[in-house]
Amino acid sequence: MITGPSGPEWPGAPDRRLHRFLRRFVDIRGNEARAALAVFLYFFLVMLSIYVVKPLKENFLIGVRPAWWGYADLITAGLIGFVVAFNTRLLNRLSRRLYSSATYGFFGLAFLLFWYIFQTYSESQGYTPIADPTAQGIISLQLAIVNSWPVPVFVFSFLVDVFIAMSVTQFWIAVNDVFNPHQAKRTIGFFVSGGLLGGVAGSLTTTLLVRVLSPDKLLLMCPAILAVIVATVNLVYAEQKKLRDPDEIDQVRAGARAGYLESLRTIRGSKYLRIMAGTVALAMAVETLVNFQFKIVVKDSFPEDAVRTAFLAKFFLAILLLSILFHWISTGRLLRRFGVRLAPLIAPGALLIGSLVLFGLPVSAGLLTWAYLLRGADKTFDNTLSQSLRELMFIPVPSEIKYKAKIFIDMVVNKLGTGLGAVIYMVVYAVSDLALKPVMTQVRELGVIVIGLIAVWTVLNMIIHREYLGVVKKDLARKWQDGHKVVAEHIDLDSTRLVFDTIQSRDRSSALYAMNMFQLIRKDKLTPELAAVIGMKEDEIKARSMGALLDVGGEVFYQGLEDTMADKDFEVQVREILALDAYKAVMHGHLDAVVGDAGQPETERMEAAKLMGLMDPSDDVIRYLGRLLKDPSPDVLNYALASAAVHLRKEHIPLIIRHLGNPMTQQMAQDSLASYGAGIEEPLRKLLRDPHQRAVVRRAVPEVLGRLGSQKAADILTSELAHDDAGMDRDIVDALYRIRADRPGIRFRERHIHAAVQAQLRKAAAAVMGQAGGAGKRSGDGGRGPEAQLGMTIKLIFDLLTLVYPAEDIIKAYQNIQQGTRKSVDYSLELLDNLLARDLKAILFPLVEDLPLDEKARRLSKALRGGTPARPWRRLKSRRPVV
Amino acid sequence: MVITTRDSQNVVIFDIDGEIRRMDTPETTLHQLVKAELEKGRRNILLNFAAVEFIDSFGVGEILASYISTQNLGGKLKLCRISKKLYLIFQVTMLVRVLEIFDDCDNALKSFEKH
Repeated sequence: MITGPSGPEWPGAPDRRLHRFLRRFVDIRGNEARAALAVFLYFFLVMLSIYVVKPLKENFLIGVRPAWWGYADLITAGLIGFVVAFNTRLLNRLSRRLYSSATYGFFGLAFLLFWYIFQTYSESQGYTPIADPTAQGIISLQLAIVNSWPVPVFVFSFLVDVFIAMSVTQFWIAVNDVFNPHQAKRTIGFFVSGGLLGGVAGSLTTTLLVRVLSPDKLLLMCPAILAVIVATVNLVYAEQKKLRDPDEIDQVRAGARAGYLESLRTIRGSKYLRIMAGTVALAMAVETLVNFQFKIVVKDSFPEDAVRTAFLAKFFLAILLLSILFHWISTGRLLRRFGVRLAPLIAPGALLIGSLVLFGLPVSAGLLTWAYLLRGADKTFDNTLSQSLRELMFIPVPSEIKYKAKIFIDMVVNKLGTGLGAVIYMVVYAVSDLALKPVMTQVRELGVIVIGLIAVWTVLNMIIHREYLGVVKKDLARKWQDGHKVVAEHIDLDSTRLVFDTIQSRDRSSALYAMNMFQLIRKDKLTPELAAVIGMKEDEIKARSMGALLDVGGEVFYQGLEDTMADKDFEVQVREILALDAYKAVMHGHLDAVVGDAGQPETERMEAAKLMGLMDPSDDVIRYLGRLLKDPSPDVLNYALASAAVHLRKEHIPLIIRHLGNPMTQQMAQDSLASYGAGIEEPLRKLLRDPHQRAVVRRAVPEVLGRLGSQKAADILTSELAHDDAGMDRDIVDALYRIRADRPGIRFRERHIHAAVQAQLRKAAAAVMGQAGGAGKRSGDGGRGPEAQLGMTIKLIFDLLTLVYPAEDIIKAYQNIQQGTRKSVDYSLELLDNLLARDLKAILFPLVEDLPLDEKARRLSKALRGGTPARPWRRLKSRRPVV
Repeated sequence: MVITTRDSQNVVIFDIDGEIRRMDTPETTLHQLVKAELEKGRRNILLNFAAVEFIDSFGVGEILASYISTQNLGGKLKLCRISKKLYLIFQVTMLVRVLEIFDDCDNALKSFEKH
């Protein structure tokens, strides 16, 4: 057990100290500590090496003519596809560990080679090679290097681009290999921090060493760093086996081994991936053009090579420090606050504002500051928010598709975006004679294009959220159907009850039996099979085998009864008799004697009650029915309530309501009241709020309102949520849930629903905190486990949420959290994260996530201390039309 | 009617003795008993009808209400040892399309393990 002030108890978690230490920085659980640290270190080293070679590449490139700058990006864009194809082959043939070790080994050797090339070129600038016959080969090589300049710069630029793309992609593949989506979502921020710190360390190293070493000598650091990376990669994959099931690892491997064309086909086949590729390409094109603007200003401001290298190193260092601060302070908050819906708009929004500011600047004044800020903002967002978002966007993509698409998007599409930016720059440079214009004009002309690209990028970011939710929901299926829906689809409940009443009446009264049969026939429900079953005497049915159902023909109560009743003339005759004045006069006399006299035989009262439903609603009939509605016999009341549901008289409502409190008559009383339809809400509302009324009666009312399904019924129930004093919350929510399911057009008052959800969340949170504090163990709860109570409250919360959020999504999320696989639970949480208002999520998530009790209590306590925003329903409303 | 409750692993078994009729309703109805078990966190319910000869429309309502409550929580409600007569009626009224009915209670218990 791990215990500590900052860490929850994790039964069986190894690396206790490490776990406790890392818990201060990252939400790790179980045995994730070592893996998290290894991955953190991996990204630290990757970014360290990148930020050593990146300023060198930038410096060498800035040193060549501005007209050639675009070629470097174009070369990368043009050739990266071949690299990816080759890379894919390697991935298919080698184990992940060997593949990573081989690629980092290759780059180590390549950087050594370029150290030699740059050193040779640098030395050649001051000296003439000496003709020494013993060193003829070396001299030829030196001459080749000098004569081919600046080709080595472009080759180096390409190599660095490939190194950056491959090492970052490999890192994120490793993250996906080791952690499942839900783990990754918790830990991504920590890993990004590792990368940023690595970047800072790299920039700092470059800044300090460039003063004592020439830029080319710095390249010698890289092979050493890459050797450490190889060791770290092996450590990371050793941890993978501890965190993932063997079959999961196999699945991951199978997914990762996709061909280049297969990757392309995968992206083409998915709208979501196509849009994601589009956003990445546009983001890179914007970044490239912003970078060109930056380079133009920097070249103009720092013409000297060494000064410029030092400046670039400092600049990247400053950006990284800013990125770290921004990441630690803002990334998580922005993601939580805006989610994947609005957070992707932040970076383009900031760049748009920055680009517009350019056009308000006085000529040349503040241009360098503007370039710092725009490029700084661009890189800061790219290092932090945008990077986290890119990885989050991949989380819901199924693993077999993810690996195919991710490599392609991260390496090919990314570089194609850069290439697009480079082409645009070169076209503008050539068409507009950029070199001949003042610096301010150059950056403004590029700025116009940047603004246009940002606009398209923003639109794609808005579209992708909708697709994102679609991808999240794709794998979420219902685990079960609503009970009342299943029953309604298969059974006609009224007819089924009538069948049982008919069978029961057969042994009690031939008249009652005949009336029930007559009613069944009128409803067209008397199938031959049913007629056979109903017509059989009870003892005969007992003797029959199951196969008798297919062998109809047993002795019936009255041969041919059902055929006679089915005759049209029979119904007409019955109607005519019932309408006869003489019949009414005679029958009224009979009813007068029978009705309301408990001393009369019960069967006769039942017959009378049934007959009331067949007769015209004369004043006498209504009066007799009113008396029968006061009968003490539940069997008589069963028929009387059914007859009351035929005539729907206002004066009967109080009499029907009386029977809501009796379990034997409650069902029929509810049916009877529901038959009145819209218009009966007001007496029901009064009943619901009558504090003097018995709780059992009041609790039967929501069911009736739910079946009425009117807007008024929904409003009454919703309002009642706010001041329920009889513990009817479950009954009210069930009724509202039914209205929502049966009447999609009904609107629910979000303010009241939100308040009710909050109340239930707080109740559940209090229960959990009580359990954590030991209160639940001590309290006498009548045998109900605290967990079971909590489960019922959570069900209630989700049912309430269906009223104001997309119901099917909420239902699927609930069902998968209850009974889903680990993967579907993760996806459900992700879906809820995108649907629900922040104040609801803050309490709901600790309740439903798989966390130790202490941790749940700690998070709930924190969430409750955060308080409820003043008018939360406003935000709720704004978030509704997400699907 | 008398209803007794017993547990078998993760299944709550209701042994019903007598006829589920409106006139013979105990203080706590079948549906109320089922709901109480659901609130305790139980999700597998088996109604043993070995000693039930007949039910009336009230009984049908109780069974279906119990089924709906269980189903809505992702649980399972099944019946076993139902009389041939009742089974016949359940067939013609289509109740068998909704309710899982077993000849033998042991088989019914085993069927819960599969879920």
